[in-house]
Amino acid sequence: MADQGGYSQHGIARTSRVRTEEQRQRDLDRIAKYRNLEDQVRQRVAASDYSPETFRLTSALLKLNPEYYTIWNARRRCLISSSFSKQPSGSSHSKASSNTFPTATTRGSSTASSSAPSATTPPSQASPTAGTSGTTAEEATHNDRSDAESEAHDFSIIRSELTFTIPLLLESPKCYWIWSYRLWILQQAISRLPAARARAVWEEELRLASRMLDKDRRNFHAWGYRRHVVAQLESPVLNGKSMAEAEFAYTTAMIHKDLSNFSAWHSRAKLIPCLLDERGADDAARRAFLDAELNQTREALNVGPEDQSLWYYHQYLILNIVRPSQHPAMAPHFSTTDRIAYLERELDEVRSLLEDYDDVQLVYEALFEYTLFLCELRRGNAKEGKIGEEEKKDLVEWLGRLKGLDPMRRGRWADLERELGLEEGPGSR
Amino acid sequence: MESLSDIHWDVVISGTGLQQSLLALALSRSGKKILHIDSNDFYGGTEASLGLQDAASWVSRIEAGGGGGLLKSAAIWRPEDSTGLAASRQYYLALAPQVVHARSRLLEQLVSSRAYRQVEFLAVGSSYVFKPASEPTQPAALVRIPSTREEVFSTTAVSTKEKRLLMKFLKFVLDHDSSPQQETWHPYAEKPLSALLSEAFNMGEELQKLIYTLTLSLNPGINTKDGLAVIRRHISSMGVYGPGFAAIYPKWGGLSEIAQVSCRACAVGGGVYMLGTGIQSTEVVEGGVKLELTSGDAIRTRLLVRASEDAASGMPVIRRLVAVTNSSFDSLFEPAVEGAPRPAVAIIAYPAGSLSTAAGKASEHPVYLSAHSSETGECPAGQSVLYLTTNASPDAQELLGRALDAFLDAAKPSAQQEVRVLTKLEYEQGSGGSSVLITQGPILTFQATTPSIAFSDSVLDPIRSAWKKILGDEAVDDEYLTFSDREGAADDDDDVYEQ
Repeated sequence: MADQGGYSQHGIARTSRVRTEEQRQRDLDRIAKYRNLEDQVRQRVAASDYSPETFRLTSALLKLNPEYYTIWNARRRCLISSSFSKQPSGSSHSKASSNTFPTATTRGSSTASSSAPSATTPPSQASPTAGTSGTTAEEATHNDRSDAESEAHDFSIIRSELTFTIPLLLESPKCYWIWSYRLWILQQAISRLPAARARAVWEEELRLASRMLDKDRRNFHAWGYRRHVVAQLESPVLNGKSMAEAEFAYTTAMIHKDLSNFSAWHSRAKLIPCLLDERGADDAARRAFLDAELNQTREALNVGPEDQSLWYYHQYLILNIVRPSQHPAMAPHFSTTDRIAYLERELDEVRSLLEDYDDVQLVYEALFEYTLFLCELRRGNAKEGKIGEEEKKDLVEWLGRLKGLDPMRRGRWADLERELGLEEGPGSR
Repeated sequence: MESLSDIHWDVVISGTGLQQSLLALALSRSGKKILHIDSNDFYGGTEASLGLQDAASWVSRIEAGGGGGLLKSAAIWRPEDSTGLAASRQYYLALAPQVVHARSRLLEQLVSSRAYRQVEFLAVGSSYVFKPASEPTQPAALVRIPSTREEVFSTTAVSTKEKRLLMKFLKFVLDHDSSPQQETWHPYAEKPLSALLSEAFNMGEELQKLIYTLTLSLNPGINTKDGLAVIRRHISSMGVYGPGFAAIYPKWGGLSEIAQVSCRACAVGGGVYMLGTGIQSTEVVEGGVKLELTSGDAIRTRLLVRASEDAASGMPVIRRLVAVTNSSFDSLFEPAVEGAPRPAVAIIAYPAGSLSTAAGKASEHPVYLSAHSSETGECPAGQSVLYLTTNASPDAQELLGRALDAFLDAAKPSAQQEVRVLTKLEYEQGSGGSSVLITQGPILTFQATTPSIAFSDSVLDPIRSAWKKILGDEAVDDEYLTFSDREGAADDDDDVYEQ
């Protein structure tokens, strides 16, 4: 480690040149090793060699390049031909699975949830088509195990595969192929393990999804993945029941971490109808729920009026008030008087934002849209000219501000103006 | 074997305070012959961390006149019944318990020099403001200060209207170097920050106190220019190394650990270290300096670097109280946000006026209490170390005591055993004239830095000046504190290729 005098005695130049040459040689070595590894795997695949040795080689190659999806497929084939039990042993236990019968005529994993392009591979080894009888000579030699042993064996493979993908995921969290491989493994859990064990695996998956969302809260792929995992956990295949309450609480936590989270607000909106039904909420409870959501959103807008995700959610709440046939969850049986009162109150609240935020475009857009809703409630469709004097005055004012704040969209403002008959008289421009 | 006197040294660095140690780090790959000495038998100088016994000796030395002009009025106290107080070596009281903001240049330099690998960094939680009880029957409260949009959203301590003002101000600060913000605050640049807050932002006193606390400044009248810069550093540091925190604190004594890691790096690079050795006499000669060390060695060196022990008059003097308690105050160290690391340091601010003496006089200066959990390594598990700081004044000692009592009252874990103070250390510390490096021929002198709650990057500038002077033409600006890892240090991906 004699590095005292060696390096920068006379400054940089010598040092960096030496490193670059070393670095270059190292890179050349790495490339050679990679190519060699790749060649080995491809040769074996070409020879239909899906032995444990091939499997080991795919591990090494995938660690270097998880995007190489052909190799993921090779790995799946290795598992099916030499690692997993011949018969998905869960078949004797699982109830609703239609995909686990080991006859060669059915293709495995045909559930809608599987999104991997080649997640299913027909068994390529010579397993007899009359598998249902279960005791041919070949199966006996291949799989001299009891059901319980098969299950334990498959479980350990599943776990080890999931573990294998984790460091790869952490390094490449948006690599589709890793996620799709995980989904395939998870699907194997459903088909090969009894429901209780499969469920445990999927629950762990939910925890992983949460961790990924912690690292990147606005990753909508991760939100979609999460919804998929939740859907599986809720399904009868995994003895599931509704997770609406827990998921709703999750969106609350995510919003508190980061208000500007389209996906969290969106999930929240999607969950509310289910949630209220499950709670057996009556009209009073639904009203109270609406009040609480309006309060919270108001507090959020108070600190983030420029945030579009908040306004989308607020609009969703308003639509519950204004279009109950499309959004019946929170205010299904309000009287029209009630609805008008609620809308007027919300308009007042939004208007009060102008005291401190008078140049935020989204506030004016909300005021404009909600005023139109008010016309609708009071009289009928605003586009059919049913705008009152008061409302017209407001609409003209908001539109004026919008024209000033967003001159690039003047075509749009002009359209609105025309549609609603809001043009000022001649000479007032 | 060569003796020290035979070697013609390039640099002798006297003292292992933070500045001298970072200089040693900067020189650690230069191949220069460096002799680094310290008259103490510990590293760190004024930024050191001390066990209880070392602290007692340190106090005695100061009281016997050994603090230069910088340190005085030192005392250490222990109650008669000292049950609970562990062995001296289980404590590591920091003399410079400064927090370091994520955007601080110090962290950049620790990263580029690779020294960060030797340091364990802990999260510093959000600051609190001490709110005295409005009525005698009401308890005093510790109010968390919101400094991100989500914190403002969640807090119940600020009214709806005030939240808007706070948001506007935070956005303003982040961008205050552009127009139109500049036009708004330039007229107030040299005036106190409070003037900007009340006149340009219409903020009430309570909100002003919250904002003032974001500066972590000991100066109640901090001017607008400085105040805005410091607040911006805080806000832009938020979340940089993880959610929920803006500053970090090095484990094992704060800045003292950075000093030690730096010295270690220099030693690895060939520097020679001698603790318990000071300079007896100095003589400027042709080609450098002749030194006689307290060890008796006669040394020749081209350059001598040291730190001044003089306090400049008119510069801030602070008073500090360090109290070890038998409680871990767990609730104080809750992460601000789910998924955030558990903080090891929590700061409570007592704005001017929130404390009064027994005679009823209100405090004129802010007091800061920096609470450290045992995670810092500064005390055993189940205990905590509280560092209280304020500007020195005739009332300072009493006010620090009051702040401590108020804290113990407000933060005590409910209905638990009584919280007791196991030992106390007190002292006063002055500061040097400015941060500029003093050059007198072959002798370079660092002036004493101003003690502060948060680390100030101005401490780093004179170090670079010294480095330049020492390396002369060999100094390459881009290479200042920029090294690659030494062999053997952290090389991750290669194992996959080792097949």
